[in-house]
Amino acid sequence: VILVVGVNHETAPLAVREALAFPKERLADALEQLRQQTGLGEAMILSTCNRVEVYGRAAEPCADAVAAFIARYHQRAPAELESHLYRLEGEAAVRHAFRVAASLDSMVLGEPQILGQVKDAYEAAERAGSLGSVLNALRNRSISAAKRARSETAIGRNAVSVSHVAVELARKIFGELRERAVLLVGAGKMSELAARQMVRDGARATVLGGRTFEKAEQLAAALGGRAAPFEALRHELAKADIVISGTGAPGIVVQREDVEAAQAARRGRPLFLIDIAVPRDVAAEAARVAGVFLYDLDDIKTVAQANMRERRKEAAAAEAILDHEIREFLDWRRSLEVVPLLVELRKRADEIRKAEIDKARKRLGTLTPEQENALEAATSAIVNKLLHGPTVHLKQMAGNGQPEHVGLIRKLFGL
Amino acid sequence: MDSRAWLLITLLFYAVGALHALLFAVLRRSVLTTVSLTATLLGFACHTSALALRWNEGGHFPALGLHDGATLLSWAIILVFLLVYVTTRVDAAGLFAYPFSFAVVFVANLTPVTDRVDPVLRSLYLPLHVFLAVFGYGALFAAFSMGVLYLFQEQELRSRSPRRFYYLIPSLERSDTIGWRSVLGGFGFLTLAIVTGFLWNHSLHGRYWTGDPKEWAALAAWVIYVVILVARWRGRWGGRRAAWLAIVGFAVVVFTFAWATLVPGVAVAAR
Repeated sequence: VILVVGVNHETAPLAVREALAFPKERLADALEQLRQQTGLGEAMILSTCNRVEVYGRAAEPCADAVAAFIARYHQRAPAELESHLYRLEGEAAVRHAFRVAASLDSMVLGEPQILGQVKDAYEAAERAGSLGSVLNALRNRSISAAKRARSETAIGRNAVSVSHVAVELARKIFGELRERAVLLVGAGKMSELAARQMVRDGARATVLGGRTFEKAEQLAAALGGRAAPFEALRHELAKADIVISGTGAPGIVVQREDVEAAQAARRGRPLFLIDIAVPRDVAAEAARVAGVFLYDLDDIKTVAQANMRERRKEAAAAEAILDHEIREFLDWRRSLEVVPLLVELRKRADEIRKAEIDKARKRLGTLTPEQENALEAATSAIVNKLLHGPTVHLKQMAGNGQPEHVGLIRKLFGL
Repeated sequence: MDSRAWLLITLLFYAVGALHALLFAVLRRSVLTTVSLTATLLGFACHTSALALRWNEGGHFPALGLHDGATLLSWAIILVFLLVYVTTRVDAAGLFAYPFSFAVVFVANLTPVTDRVDPVLRSLYLPLHVFLAVFGYGALFAAFSMGVLYLFQEQELRSRSPRRFYYLIPSLERSDTIGWRSVLGGFGFLTLAIVTGFLWNHSLHGRYWTGDPKEWAALAAWVIYVVILVARWRGRWGGRRAAWLAIVGFAVVVFTFAWATLVPGVAVAAR
């Protein structure tokens, strides 16, 4: 049975998630202990800032043992974690694994990082030798399903973070960003993030520096652009297409008059002003200048929320794709199960036995009841003795999680 | 089947595109994108055969009266729309081309065919002049559509809280570029149409300029486009102003066209 035990951003506060995190360098060791102490045949640990989850495959349900292990490993009282932990088994666990990989269970719906984190977690488990055929199959199927959901729906399409929204808006105004001039006023972290993406799209960056010109020069170097003194604002503004302003200044840095002067020199080309500073850097009236698009932090967040609504609409389509993939995975798993195989094997043997008895009867003519019974007993005994060994061993192998043998046996017996 | 039957089938196909545009405006969703493109392509094929048959039936190039005028104009508009789509993959211009062509083909279906036996109609100038003119109109209609899309998208972006249209219509830069190219193409065809018109006048009347109101109207439209072009070349009027001018320019063109086809006796060649 496949099981998932863990916490995520919905069930546990950050403090709990932090406490339960498994550091990368101790993952192999943790997996080793986990398997020794819980009876899991296969195990994988997914530990990100939004979730800590143990994926496992066991012969018998042992979610409680896994939960106890998580508490013990992090030296917590099991009762303390009880309200945060979820335990999923069988189909529910499989569904969860698929949804996590496809970013449908993420805090930011459709965010792209989780798929990479899932891949890394499986790889770490593989290196630690705790990945068997079942979890490996789960890995392949859930990752390919996640890719399908991403490419066939718009779940990850519209930006929901500040820097991505800024880049996307710039694209809605300028189309491609190649050779567009980006002007950074102030060298903040968020400005850098947005500028970096624009530069990746082919834009050229200029960084305006104030008192700490060195900082501006460093950032300009990192962006492959140039730095300019703050006094050159009007001059640079006239040359820019996109302005990202994020200074820590207490007052207005870019006045309406600056923007007007720049627009006059630009001959009506659009100018995109992104003001991510709090308090704001750009005078609100600058938005009224022709050809100017001014977005402050709140505006960008509004767009992000609208995009989030779009994503939620797309989530339904993504769930439908996953449903289909999950069903296929479960069907495939079921086909590998041992019990139906044993039933089929016995049925097939019995059919052969009956057919052969019929043939023999035709040759032998009428038999006495004693002879009938003897024939029946002899053939049944042969079948039972022949199948006894395979039956016992198959059950054992299934318990050890070696379902690939089931396929082999099906092939051998033509089932 | 005769040309009128083909034109009726054309109308049915174009109805799909018109429905698409209607749903888009009401639901703000792109529901029938692929279906409407396919239907329009099939409709255009029927439209072309209607035109060819009518040419054959009439015995002269079919450019007489409202029926022919409407058929030709909508044909050119769809042709240019398809060209824009094939080269840029932007289908948003269809939001205007679909319903407009549907309406115009609808009118063509309702109006009777005008026929006359006149040696003037056998002139090679007729198809040449008319084809150049309708190609020009088609391109200018595309410029008009892109202008409206530009203003829509600009409105969305300036509102800072974009609604659905934001996702569905092209970027400002794209609308601007396609609109500009359409103006260039349209202006080229319009110029050639005016030149052939003058040459035709000369061959008929011995004069290039006859003082016909249509000549004045065509000249007015041409001057407006010259202004747009010069302003743009001098780097003054990009974006928003160009979008508005493309809309105004097209309005003037519509006026000329309506005058030429609707007011009896203005159709120069046939007088």
